[in-house]
Amino acid sequence: MINNYVLVLAGLAAGPVIGGLVSGADRIITARVQSRIGPPLFQPFYDVAKLLGKEAVVVNVWQAFCAYAYLAAAAISVVLFFLQSDLLLIFFTQAVGALFLVGGALTSTSPYSQIGAHRELLQILSYEPLIMFVIIGMYLETHSFKVSDILQWQEPLLLKLPFLFVALGYGLTIKLRKSPFDLSTCHHAHQELVKGLTTDYSGPFLALTEIGHWFEVVFFLCLSALFWATSWVGMAILLVVTYLLEIIVDNVSARLTWRWMLGYVWAMGLALALVNLIWLYAAR
Amino acid sequence: MFKAFIKKSRIKSPWLLHFDCGSCNGCDIEVLACLTPVYDVERFGIINVGNPMHADIMLVTGTVNHRNRKVLANLYEQMPSPKVVIAIGACGLSGGIFREAYNVVGGVDKVIPVDVYVPGCPAKPEAIIDGVVTALGRFQEKTQALRTGT
Amino acid sequence: MVSDLTTILILLPFVSAILIYLIRVSAIRSLIVLLTGFTLIACSLLLIPYAPFTWSPHALFGVPLHGVVQVADFVLLLVILYFGYIRRSILIQALSVFQIIVMVYVEFFMVKGPISTDIFYCDNLSLIMVLIASIVGSLICFQAIPYMKNHERHLHLEKSKQPQFFLVMILFLGAMNGVVLANDMTFFYFFFELTTLCSFLLIGHDATEIATKNAVRALWMNSLGGAAFAVALPLIYRDLGHLDMQMVIRTGPVAGLYVLPIALMCFAAFTKSAQFPFQSWLLGAMVAPTPVSALLHSSTMVKVGVYLVLRIAPAIQLNFLSQTVAVFGAFGFLAAAALAVGQSNGKKVLAYSTISNLGLIFACAGINTPEAITAGILLIMFHAVIKALLFLCVGTIEQHIASRDIEDMRGLYAHMPLTALITVMGVIMMIMPPFGMLLSKWMAIEAAARNIYAIIMIALASALTVMYWARWAGNLMSDPYAGRQFLLKLEIEKQAALTWLALLSLCVGAGVMSVAAPWVYATMVAPALGGAYVPPFTMGGGGLESTSGTFAVVPLCIVAAFGFLVAIWAVKRAMRARVVAPYLSGIQTDDPGVFKGPMNQPVKAWARNYYLLSIFGEERLTTWVNLSAGVLLTLMVGGVL
Repeated sequence: MINNYVLVLAGLAAGPVIGGLVSGADRIITARVQSRIGPPLFQPFYDVAKLLGKEAVVVNVWQAFCAYAYLAAAAISVVLFFLQSDLLLIFFTQAVGALFLVGGALTSTSPYSQIGAHRELLQILSYEPLIMFVIIGMYLETHSFKVSDILQWQEPLLLKLPFLFVALGYGLTIKLRKSPFDLSTCHHAHQELVKGLTTDYSGPFLALTEIGHWFEVVFFLCLSALFWATSWVGMAILLVVTYLLEIIVDNVSARLTWRWMLGYVWAMGLALALVNLIWLYAAR
Repeated sequence: MFKAFIKKSRIKSPWLLHFDCGSCNGCDIEVLACLTPVYDVERFGIINVGNPMHADIMLVTGTVNHRNRKVLANLYEQMPSPKVVIAIGACGLSGGIFREAYNVVGGVDKVIPVDVYVPGCPAKPEAIIDGVVTALGRFQEKTQALRTGT
Repeated sequence: MVSDLTTILILLPFVSAILIYLIRVSAIRSLIVLLTGFTLIACSLLLIPYAPFTWSPHALFGVPLHGVVQVADFVLLLVILYFGYIRRSILIQALSVFQIIVMVYVEFFMVKGPISTDIFYCDNLSLIMVLIASIVGSLICFQAIPYMKNHERHLHLEKSKQPQFFLVMILFLGAMNGVVLANDMTFFYFFFELTTLCSFLLIGHDATEIATKNAVRALWMNSLGGAAFAVALPLIYRDLGHLDMQMVIRTGPVAGLYVLPIALMCFAAFTKSAQFPFQSWLLGAMVAPTPVSALLHSSTMVKVGVYLVLRIAPAIQLNFLSQTVAVFGAFGFLAAAALAVGQSNGKKVLAYSTISNLGLIFACAGINTPEAITAGILLIMFHAVIKALLFLCVGTIEQHIASRDIEDMRGLYAHMPLTALITVMGVIMMIMPPFGMLLSKWMAIEAAARNIYAIIMIALASALTVMYWARWAGNLMSDPYAGRQFLLKLEIEKQAALTWLALLSLCVGAGVMSVAAPWVYATMVAPALGGAYVPPFTMGGGGLESTSGTFAVVPLCIVAAFGFLVAIWAVKRAMRARVVAPYLSGIQTDDPGVFKGPMNQPVKAWARNYYLLSIFGEERLTTWVNLSAGVLLTLMVGGVL
């Protein structure tokens, strides 16, 4: 029981702390790749703190509701993961948050928010089946959806689920809002939709969406980490290499259209997932 | 203690909104030069956000004219406090050499309150960065004003 | 007691319907509807402790029951033939003549002696269906009272058609109860065809050209299913010597021709539940008044198909037929979800969503494991309540804004705050944890994980589902400058009391059922699995746990409630925040949504949802979908032969 409380607290802390640090490291490495120096490591924390200290300005009070709901759902999904609950349930909980973020953007009538929201829906449409296939693949291999059982699997899942890891990579790229899939909103440069999805969020509510995003990043990294859950070193290497690849892909590609994203991600992701799933079925 | 952290963060994370009020683009090019790897203002946490609702600092170039004065006012209103405005270049200060033209309002401070003036034609990137840093010092007074309601 | 309750549940609606038609005073009619509804609700609740039970009455008020149903059956088929004649539909006439011939053969030449041990059989699955039909059905009929009043006022009808309307609506409730309680297959067939006739009459209620055309289409497609069911009867009797559904199921698959009648029954179920390629009748049925759509075409009548397949699922475990049903169902789930993405007509979105969820239930029945059957039953329960709620909301909204297009519902919160909130709640309950629909979907996905064809389609469809619901919910709350208006000081719009009763009780009911889902499972669903399946879940810590998955229902509900309260507190605080216009590049004016355009002229900024018509447009996609469905059905039937 005490153990559970510790895990809950760890989950709640992991989001801001790990998410923020990863975000900071991301910006430094991106800057170095672009021949710049980049901000200090704790820059994301300064950003969020500054935003929290700003005046509350809203376009529509439902934005406040949606920002809090987004943060809550993202945090709950990470906590559930730390509590080693059912992966599919955790994924659906995270999806709640993503939908509230979209809903909050739809409540504003600015065309930037509206189009950003629809592009975000298309992004969700692109990655959601892939993540579900990854979870199904893990189930087929370990015979359980529960994180507790998957963690006890003796073999690194990466060996049997390599293509599903690539499919997860597509999902990760979309979720981290990296080019070529940073259609709905993006961390760095503005885009043809100003800030797209988050255009009309400001001040404290923007801070909440940022912290919610950190929780989501932590969740997806934890999901990736499950692919080499047998050793801490392996896990660390896997995460670092994956994240570095994401940054490189971000810097070498341009933002593309939603049609391309939907077509490419579904085609490649489905093909890869199908091949891997058929292997797993055949092996049973 | 958290308040102190927020105060520190305001200085460490100033987000810019850059608005051109009829400038010849000379000052605008210098502003954008600051974002390039040569000057790399992201070292200081400065990001050029294109959205007033996300911005703390508004960099205004150009004389203001009768068409875009309302836009300037709208953008200023959409920025959440605390906020500072920096007028850049001779045109932004007072209208520059265009001060007497019929369509020119003549300086940013005729529409919105300005905190820092950066002279030059065009202003050098170093001067612009210096202006931003000066503006950061103003956040303290701004928050004071917010709290006491002045 | 059981016999009394069952008699009331089936016969009272028939009696009330006749009274409604004869007594042409609207106040008395409303009273009869209310009394009938409350009686049905009470009786269905009182029936709970008696399940499972069987009952075989021999006579109805002295007349032998079998004879009554035989005669009624032929009368019904002749009535359908008559309608086929006056609507000049060769298909309907042919199908009804065909069914008459088959029934004559079965009743007079084939059957010798008693054909069933039990006429009525009620296990927990039937009980759940009775509860849904009685409770949800009655609430819909209650809402229909003010709705039809408004409806006829809009149409400027001199002579009210409400007597016919309520006659058929109430009669239908009795038919529904009869279908799910019937164990004797001729009784089932009679009530099955009766629901078809009710659907035809109600779709064509407004008597416009398009309503008549769509009603005819519904009649022939459903008659096709009826004909398939009718053909199954002599085949079963020839193989097994009786027409007792429970005994048929218990006999199990004895290979060969025995499976063919089961496949025919599945085909009948598919037409009844508007699966592809028969979906057009359900889409066409949306021209009917909304209570009809809510009652027949989402919560009850179309559920008869999935009920039938869930009922006979134990008989086809491990059979190829089961596999094809699973794939066909998953395909329906995917195709309908894709088609819904391309729709902006609110009722059509709901119709496609219904077809989609019914496909998922068929997939669950086809997968035929304990988890899958549990998921199917839970899906029936939650879908019936929530979809009825959403249809009633759309009906209410439609009468207010005279449009059923989602685009016209933008910013509805400003005009109809409570209805908009209830609709958004309905959408949330449809797609989000910890509510019941998501619980059932989670269960279905976990059950389907071992079936590669099904799981791929289900995963894709699940993502599409989210898309068309989320944009609708967002549109309802879309409102510039909402801080300057009433917000949480809800100025509740004026609606009839019965409308609020129906909407609020369905909304609250769905919420309560979701929180109580583990107990609902333990008391209602697990016993429904009967001897054929081992209950897969145990209740632990307020959630459902199985060997491979866990869903902590109550803890998540508590956390969600807490999160909801925090968010409401945030909204209240945001009411004191400074309100600014949405970002329009600085050229906004004081008028909401208007900006200063070229030549300083005001221009209204507007946005439209992405309907992705080039990919998901109805015209484009339907041909491909129907073709693929046809292929799958051929596979099913061919595999059986």
